[in-house]
Amino acid sequence: MASSLHDAPSAAVNGTFAADAKSQVHKKPRLYADPSPPLFTPSDILSEFSHHDPAIARINNGSFGSCPSSVISAQNDFRLQWLRQPDDFYFNQLQPKILQSRTIIKDLINADHVDEVSIVDNATTAAAIVLQQIAWGFAEGKFNHGDAAVMLHYAYGAVKKSVEAYVTRAGGQALQRGKQNGRRVRLAVIDHVTSMPTVVIPVKELVTICREEGVDQVFVDAAHGIGCVDIDMKQIGADFYTSNLHKWYFCPPSVAFLYCKRSVNNSDLHHPVVSHEYGNGLAIESAWIGTRDYSAQLVVPKVLEFINRFEGGINGIKKRNHERVVEMGQMLVEAWGTHLGCPPEMCSSMVMVGLPACLGISSDRDALNLRTCLREKFGVEVPIYYRSPKDGEEGGVTGLGMQSINLLTMHSLVLLFPIHKLK
Amino acid sequence: MQHEDPRNGESDHRSSKKPKLSSKFITESDIRDEFSHHHPRVARINNGSFGSCPGSVLTAQRHLQLQFLRQPDAFYFNTLRDGITASRKIIKDFINADHVDEVSLVDNATTAAAIVLQRIGRSFAEGKFQKNDTVLMLHCAFQAVKKSIQAYVTRAGGSVIEVRLPFPVNSEEEIISEFKKSIEEGKSNGRKIRLAIIDHITSMPSLVIPVKELVRICRAEGIEQVFVDAAHAIGSVKVDVKEVGADFYVSNLHKWFFCPPSVAFLYCKKSTSSSDLHHPVVSHEYGNGLPVESAWIGTRDYSSQLVVPAVLEFVNRFEGGIDGIMKRNHDEVVKMGKMLVESWGTNLGSPPEMSAAMIMVGLPSRLCLNSEEDAVTLRSHLRDRYEVEVPIFHQVSKDGEEGVRDKDGFITGYLRMGKCAKCFIRNEEAVMKVGAAFHGINICVLPSF
Repeated sequence: MASSLHDAPSAAVNGTFAADAKSQVHKKPRLYADPSPPLFTPSDILSEFSHHDPAIARINNGSFGSCPSSVISAQNDFRLQWLRQPDDFYFNQLQPKILQSRTIIKDLINADHVDEVSIVDNATTAAAIVLQQIAWGFAEGKFNHGDAAVMLHYAYGAVKKSVEAYVTRAGGQALQRGKQNGRRVRLAVIDHVTSMPTVVIPVKELVTICREEGVDQVFVDAAHGIGCVDIDMKQIGADFYTSNLHKWYFCPPSVAFLYCKRSVNNSDLHHPVVSHEYGNGLAIESAWIGTRDYSAQLVVPKVLEFINRFEGGINGIKKRNHERVVEMGQMLVEAWGTHLGCPPEMCSSMVMVGLPACLGISSDRDALNLRTCLREKFGVEVPIYYRSPKDGEEGGVTGLGMQSINLLTMHSLVLLFPIHKLK
Repeated sequence: MQHEDPRNGESDHRSSKKPKLSSKFITESDIRDEFSHHHPRVARINNGSFGSCPGSVLTAQRHLQLQFLRQPDAFYFNTLRDGITASRKIIKDFINADHVDEVSLVDNATTAAAIVLQRIGRSFAEGKFQKNDTVLMLHCAFQAVKKSIQAYVTRAGGSVIEVRLPFPVNSEEEIISEFKKSIEEGKSNGRKIRLAIIDHITSMPSLVIPVKELVRICRAEGIEQVFVDAAHAIGSVKVDVKEVGADFYVSNLHKWFFCPPSVAFLYCKKSTSSSDLHHPVVSHEYGNGLPVESAWIGTRDYSSQLVVPAVLEFVNRFEGGIDGIMKRNHDEVVKMGKMLVESWGTNLGSPPEMSAAMIMVGLPSRLCLNSEEDAVTLRSHLRDRYEVEVPIFHQVSKDGEEGVRDKDGFITGYLRMGKCAKCFIRNEEAVMKVGAAFHGINICVLPSF
């Protein structure tokens, strides 16, 4: 690829415990005695993803991500260590290793203190944590009946359900339009990168607006954030920020971080699965929620090693993903005479590509059927989004989201070109 | 003789009562192979905490994990839910539930407690319960459950009554009597007892509780709902949820039922209120019933929930299936316990019929175990120095009460022996290791055989 190199990998911590407190986000990690680690060759990459179904073009990296085999291997090692002598692992290994992962993440996202970083299963869990806190606010009379939580229309379906379960049920209002009639907005839920349709939201600006408008707290749902767009907690300025590491950050299923800015209001955050550590702070609570497999949370150092063997580290990967996916998207819209869902600068590693009207997609069901057909008949995995057309518009848009390191995706384009034959 | 493949999830499948007659039983060498991934020298006498998962089940699990990674969307759309339903059906039959809708799979008993207690919390918050209405629990309820009660009940204005069980205990009557006393207390001053939480097998100290009788008493006393925390039950004692008669019943399959970490079932008797139970991690399936909600709580590894059929296959390779395993576990752990108490001149924490696969063994008073810290120190010492993994319980002596004595003083500590019989090193070896360890700690003689 002839793209210019972005010469500053974002890994500040090289997988060891001692993080330089003054380190900037952009610092070259030292992993080996040699100043720079050996970069991956294309054949290394094929081998790292040899466990993927070779007959499938994975253009839906956004849903379930891709985990390289060296990381899976490291994860299996941890699992075996646990099974070998679980009590010993529980007493002596588990907590320090989770702390190590949290420390790495803290540096990656430019948080002030590792206490601000909790590791949870996924953004869905993070949403439950933040929203349960809001529910208590209503239950304990801190909030008034009718106070609101505001979210985007395109907020993720699971998050909308969580708002219903925790806010509406407790007497709050879930709104897509803001404060009215003297009600306070207790929480604004903003996506960093929406899911369907996918668009990069200018979160920094929106958070500023929220502050100006007197919104109590801002929760950024950045499920797709880390490894996909630039994230800097201090710059974005939200109270809560969550992102899945198993989507675009090569972690196995599943692990996410929830950042909670240190402030008086956050001492009341709890993991909903209450265990021995209740009351010791969210990060400690989340590190033990009963017996289960925590191995996905322990491989973050290994993932960092993997990422740093790409030119430019995670920033290089992000840039190349973005450029390739925009290139592919533009190829398709040209061939089909359709349009992209938004301008390239509002795309991340995913892009929405309009489908030809001749496909006649006129419902969610049609979209799902098309998706199934593409999977089963053509070996292409790609989500299809249906939006009821406004005047003069066609319905049916597809989201392409891929890791550009997956070389097979280029071949999938050839399959997509004769899409008019599907009807 | 042909038997149905348990992986088909047929609803009339009878779980372990008829082992496959067409294949011979598992041999001791097979068993060693199955657990070859265990540390070869550590005497694992703490099966109760984290269980043991055989190699063939781990292989089945890895296969499923790889299937997901290979093509996750196809797995999500075509394999996952059916696999979870198949596991739930097997469990439903096993525990004698009426309907598969009554069976949800969750990570562990801790999660199940959060589900049940969050609903109690909501009832206080929504004014359905009065402030100071009560939740009843055993004094030795699992610490995590106590915290959950704090988080969801106390915080919401409910009050808590703890049933102080005697320990050591001599009979079920002692437990029943204390339980009745606490109910009286809970109902005093016009309060209602909204929920009773009863362990089927307590953790520390470990006892088998007469749950059927206690649930009957709860009903007779007008306690609204009963939640049985049976974290240790399945694979350890017979589980028949209709016989027990509770509203909610949870058990971990990764303790005594050979599942990998982690999977538990939460049984919720069908009733008008059971429709208001929700998984606290709310996702797309919110409102579609707890089993369906629990089957998708966001992207994560669900493979341990999918291997229940493989586990059933493993269990049925033993003579007598799970019943045979349970009996042998019990017989051997009682035998080991008696060996040690005879050798040390101490006592068992309960009569054998009040223990299942775990038994409390009194430690010699000369150890001078005077605090929880001492117990932790001793445990670490046993692990690090003698490669024996066994939890130690510190018995707090009550004022004015005579404790149990050995020839040197009061017995203040107990081992919790919980071993999966035949799973790895021979039982005599394990007892030898324990005896040697304590001999090394310069306390007592080796047990004689």
